[in-house]
Amino acid sequence: MKKSLFDQGYLDEQFCQVEDLQDEASPNFVEEVVTLFFKDSGRLMSNIEQALEKYPRDFNRWDAYMQQLKGSCCSIGASRMKNECMSFRDSCGQGNVEGCMRSFQKVKREHAVLRQKLESYFQLLRQAGPAGAATRPIM
Amino acid sequence: MAPAEEAGGEFPVGMKVLVVDDDPTCLAVLKRMLLGCRYDATTCSQATRALTMLRENRRGFDVIISDVHMPDMDGFRLLELVGLEMDLPVIMMSADSRTDIVMKGIKHGACDYLIKPVRMEELKNIWQHVLRKKFNENKEHEHSGSLDDTDRTRPTNNDNEYASSVNDGADGSWKSQKKKRDKDEDDGELESGDPSTSKKPRVVWSVELHQQFVNAVNHLGIDKAVPKKILELMNVPGLTRENVASHLQKFRLYLKRIAQHHAGIANPFCPPGSSPNIGSLGGLDLQALAASGQIPPQTLAALQDELLGRPTNSLLLPGRDQTALRLSAVKGNKPHGEREIAFGQPIYKCQSNAYAAFPQSSPTVGGTFSAWSNKLGMADSTGTLGSMSNSQNSNIVLHELQQQPDAMLSGNLHSLDVKPSGIVMPSQSLNTFSASEGLSPNQNPLMLPSQSSGLLAAMPPSMKHEPVLATSQPSSSLLGGIDLVNQASTSQPLISTHGGNLPGLVNRNSNVLPSQGISTFQTENNPYLVSQNSVGVGSKQPHGVLKTENSDPLSRNYGYIGGGAPLMDSGLLSSQSKNTQFGLLQNQDDLTGSWSPLQNIDSYGNTIGLSHPGSSFQSSNVPLGKFPDQGRGKNHGFVGKGSCIPSRFAVDEIESPTNNLSHSIGSSGDIMSPDVFGFSGHM
Repeated sequence: MKKSLFDQGYLDEQFCQVEDLQDEASPNFVEEVVTLFFKDSGRLMSNIEQALEKYPRDFNRWDAYMQQLKGSCCSIGASRMKNECMSFRDSCGQGNVEGCMRSFQKVKREHAVLRQKLESYFQLLRQAGPAGAATRPIM
Repeated sequence: MAPAEEAGGEFPVGMKVLVVDDDPTCLAVLKRMLLGCRYDATTCSQATRALTMLRENRRGFDVIISDVHMPDMDGFRLLELVGLEMDLPVIMMSADSRTDIVMKGIKHGACDYLIKPVRMEELKNIWQHVLRKKFNENKEHEHSGSLDDTDRTRPTNNDNEYASSVNDGADGSWKSQKKKRDKDEDDGELESGDPSTSKKPRVVWSVELHQQFVNAVNHLGIDKAVPKKILELMNVPGLTRENVASHLQKFRLYLKRIAQHHAGIANPFCPPGSSPNIGSLGGLDLQALAASGQIPPQTLAALQDELLGRPTNSLLLPGRDQTALRLSAVKGNKPHGEREIAFGQPIYKCQSNAYAAFPQSSPTVGGTFSAWSNKLGMADSTGTLGSMSNSQNSNIVLHELQQQPDAMLSGNLHSLDVKPSGIVMPSQSLNTFSASEGLSPNQNPLMLPSQSSGLLAAMPPSMKHEPVLATSQPSSSLLGGIDLVNQASTSQPLISTHGGNLPGLVNRNSNVLPSQGISTFQTENNPYLVSQNSVGVGSKQPHGVLKTENSDPLSRNYGYIGGGAPLMDSGLLSSQSKNTQFGLLQNQDDLTGSWSPLQNIDSYGNTIGLSHPGSSFQSSNVPLGKFPDQGRGKNHGFVGKGSCIPSRFAVDEIESPTNNLSHSIGSSGDIMSPDVFGFSGHM
């Protein structure tokens, strides 16, 4: 499954780096970070959503918020989501409200999809058992 | 563990890294990576908290990694502050890889700029920044002059092994380092010592010292100010060209920032003309001050900002505020806010945040001044106040000072031992009191602003009542005042003055005064002592006089006005926690007038250094800068006794004569005014 995640571009190299950080000392590091990511990104996204509504055409503000979200995505390697973030920022740069709205919807979608996939992924890992989880699953 | 153990040993294992980023995901990942590199990592999601941590424990970290975009403080700002206050290597980081942003990071002094997502390999190389800095510092010390390519070559000295391998990975680091270095005009950088084991003596840019520095720069003209000449003008024993060079570099950055900042800000004060540079500063009084010939507005502003440490936003009053603050600081030096700043000048407006703090609000002092002073004084955090007020104060002070010839300064300040040439560096010091008060109109006030006020004012409460602050001694040059202070307060030199008695002493600290400077006073009632923090006798309160919470700069106590104001408490000056104490109290020798700004009067009036040739605070006579009469002639700074300080100081009469400043803190006398320092209730 992991492989498919990579192949489809949901995750990138950074995710591997994060996985590498996991070891006996912190056996659930990846899952912890991912959980943290989804929690924080949820918050950021609702900020953006509010801003889109409350501050119409405030591209600077929108851009700033999205910048934060993008940074977060980068850190765990959420590649597709990051790309959508970037396109959102491009739309902001162009002053394109429509484009922003569309991009944001995509960001939300990617976010939901990724969350789902990673949840399954972790489940699989758990099923693989301690032994399986300890080693990097090769998919 | 000792930060960076060079050579050899275990370094970089255990290197202490502080990571600042509002993104928890990134923080978690980075922390894990750093632990993987065997560093000792601490994470912090708020820049303000990080700054506090750093201030409390300067040696506790070897390197900082900071995000660029953060909600509570701009990453670049944090970068500047850390660089100025603690002189630690800072690495910027962001998902934003735009060239202009990266460039901005370099310009602000970042050692390196990492693009997110950060990889482990990049983190493995960050230790070289620590080493490099250390080497550079060492080098500076050893070779007094030619640092030029130290950086590059330096790392190789010791650790060839490291260097070679690192270089590969370093990719940007060298470049950024190099850029940073290239930026310096004078290759001097690093004046202050390395965090770790270098044994080089660290130069503490106390308020006084900074004041002298600023005076020198002003005298030469910001464009023509080269380290060599500045060094000559300052004439501080033990100060090397490199120290000056690196400080100058920072100062220039600071000015630039100020200019940009001000440019955007409407200056209420905007005086016309004033140097073009300053113009950008924003009308601030600086301009006025500048006009007065005192300190070039820009410088002043810059100073203030710098001194104040540019507190995050709040303090930083847009150019204006700062000036005002400074002025106030100068003038009233309000030891912490309340005081002196009576200058009342509009400066408050500026940020008044800081200023507003000054409770006291200058009773009567000129009203305007008081206002400032108060502001300044209050400002505790407002470090900027000091500075800001300075600007304003400067104006005010100038007036005052002019009125009262340094007498004030001399008298008051001096008491404190401090002879302070009053480095009244604006900055924080509001403490420096009101040096402006005493400060001769010459621009000193500006310079002093903040600091002086603090300083003078600083005089402390402990001095308490003692007329100490030389207030009365008018002419006697600060020293006189200080003497009083000394005597009276016995508490001596502010430096240690816990209670702040000697604000004036601040100078003493000036170089180094352990944070006490300001802090010391503070404890006492010193109004001035702005740095409330500073009171920490001995404790280095970063906030110099003004307790500015914020910003660090206060530590700068520049306010220390001229030597006299010991009250200012070294805390102000010295404690400035930052080294900025420029104020090296001028040696009293010079104090007399010739240099004004820093000199004796802490720019404000208290001619810090002015008169007392020896009295200077602490270091007494630090030959601070024998600046030739800067033009101001009198103590720059105070010279006029305290005239700056509006009635507030006058209150003290005790010091009276010169009062002008005596009350005022530190600065020549005015500041010293008992009130200010704690005596009567400072302005």
